[in-house]
Amino acid sequence: MAQKVEKWYPGEGKLTPGWTIIYILLMLGFVAACARLYLGLGATTNLSDGYPWGLWVSFDILAGVALAGGGFTMAAAIYIFNLKKFEPLLRPAKLSAFLGYLMFIIGLFFDLGQPWRIWHPMVMWNPHSVLFEVSWCVMLYTAVLAIDLFIIGLERYGKESWVRFFRDIYLVLVVAGIMLSTLHQSSLGALYLLLPEKMSNLWATQALGPLFFTSAVIGGMSVVILESLISARAYKRQPEMDILPDFAKGLGIALLVYFAMKVTDLYARGVSVWVWDKAHFFFFLELLGTVALPALLLVYQKVRQSTTGLFWAAGLSAFGVVLNRFNVSLTSYGGYRSFSYFPSIIEIILTAALVALGIVIFDLGRKLLPIYKSELSGQSR
Amino acid sequence: MSKAVLIDTTKCIGCRACQVACKSWNDLKGKKATFSETWSNPRFLSSYDYNRIIFREISHPDGRLDWYFIARRCLHCHDPACASACPVGALVKMPEGPVVYDDVKCIGCRYCMMACPFQIPKFEWESAVPLIRKCTFCADRLAEGLTPSCVATCPTGTLLFGERPALLKEAHRRIGAAPQRYYPQVYGEKTAGGTSSLYLTAVSFEELGLNHRGFRTDLGDVPQGLYGREWMSKVPYVGVAVGALAVGLHYFHQRRAEVQAEERKED
Repeated sequence: MAQKVEKWYPGEGKLTPGWTIIYILLMLGFVAACARLYLGLGATTNLSDGYPWGLWVSFDILAGVALAGGGFTMAAAIYIFNLKKFEPLLRPAKLSAFLGYLMFIIGLFFDLGQPWRIWHPMVMWNPHSVLFEVSWCVMLYTAVLAIDLFIIGLERYGKESWVRFFRDIYLVLVVAGIMLSTLHQSSLGALYLLLPEKMSNLWATQALGPLFFTSAVIGGMSVVILESLISARAYKRQPEMDILPDFAKGLGIALLVYFAMKVTDLYARGVSVWVWDKAHFFFFLELLGTVALPALLLVYQKVRQSTTGLFWAAGLSAFGVVLNRFNVSLTSYGGYRSFSYFPSIIEIILTAALVALGIVIFDLGRKLLPIYKSELSGQSR
Repeated sequence: MSKAVLIDTTKCIGCRACQVACKSWNDLKGKKATFSETWSNPRFLSSYDYNRIIFREISHPDGRLDWYFIARRCLHCHDPACASACPVGALVKMPEGPVVYDDVKCIGCRYCMMACPFQIPKFEWESAVPLIRKCTFCADRLAEGLTPSCVATCPTGTLLFGERPALLKEAHRRIGAAPQRYYPQVYGEKTAGGTSSLYLTAVSFEELGLNHRGFRTDLGDVPQGLYGREWMSKVPYVGVAVGALAVGLHYFHQRRAEVQAEERKED
């Protein structure tokens, strides 16, 4: 049984500067959301016929889903590859993955011209469309994550017979989650297969699907590390430094594989990279600064075993995944015609508020559900 | 059968009667226009301009100046990228030729705008609940046995409506009869898998400077939607393979851990 406690963690409920910013963002976000729904996309965003997709697609949808890749990556590591020692990292990963997809769905709701028709792909099918597949996979995968959190909730309230039932069918959930994630993470890249002529050839490749999948694994792994380090500080606990260095080794390998894939792809397509303009600046920043550099950092044992080192390496690679999504969807598309795009203040506020909402819900989930190792009673799944 | 429109731009005088006819048949709102460095007006297609004439001045090295008028509207591809992109199937190619849009299905995701290689679908940015708008090939008129309103209005015979194979034949006949008058390719014959708007021009679209303004010449003969469909055809197999691999590896690793535990016990 969950016992009643006065405070879930030291300093809870205090209005720290961090929480003040979060609450202000949430209030601003509420106003921005109302404005968006009441006035429409044209009035509140800087989107145009030249730039139909902007910040919300790049960040809330593409980057958000990639960073939420931790759920399926951890599940695969633990249940498929039997790396049981990483088990303490699983539940926070599941919680943040669920939040990532929740953010995706809320972000998408505001991005759609007809938000109230968000359910249409359920009944109106176009199996030729990559976006149709993405919407189905995201829908099902969010359901899988929700069931997963529901099981954790059942555990908290000690419904043992229910938990046992779900544990018996647990492999089905794990396999479904991995399958759906593989498909939609790569298909988000495949969305851009249809418009190679509008993209810079630095990013317009037939390999976008596998590249998106690999970088989603990187995004997920780096968020798992960051999550462990940041929540340790926020909740005054010890980060899992007994397993994080080994886990970071895995991240390093993933980064190396991704780097090799990127370079092979560029070489195979004969892309001339030695030019100096805006697109190439972001290209080199992405490839060298956020893929090669963290991979290099993680080679050193010293870096892997220090919280600061891990924070920087994981932070850089997570930033790199976000940068990659912006590059594919905006940098690459830019320069295509005489239109330009920079997000409006309402677009920025709504996105920031979504992140704030994510933090609030994570805090709530952390309080209500047995997420961390110390809270698990007995054997866990 | 599949209908098409042959646009012989060498016959166009730039009167813009087709723009007016399009607006009035489709009941599109007007906008106050302003002068600009070009005679083209409006400057861009939009949710209330399905059709416009682009005015191009081309000066030759010998001092001659040529003025060309190119009608810009939906090309009504045989295999439209927009229809392959739309997640709810709101955009459909009709066997009669038009690529039509269903207001009731659209969720406003704007993927069609991203996917269209000719940048044709436009969004009602001024509306709170916007929809996509584009040339309909006057599918409603076609159903009544009429020609599209632009064709019915054109005073010079620039626009010719008919069966696509017959129009292609006619286009090549014109090129053959007056090779000095035409660029020897019909834009839309094979472009992006073939379109139902076919263009005859005096010079190439590169020379007109329009190849990056909606008339791409680097698309090849492949419909853009094919890339997405190829991906989608692999999806079921990838899904099954990943699922099977995951289950297999799970039991393999579980068994290996068991065996290792046994061995440790025996030692």
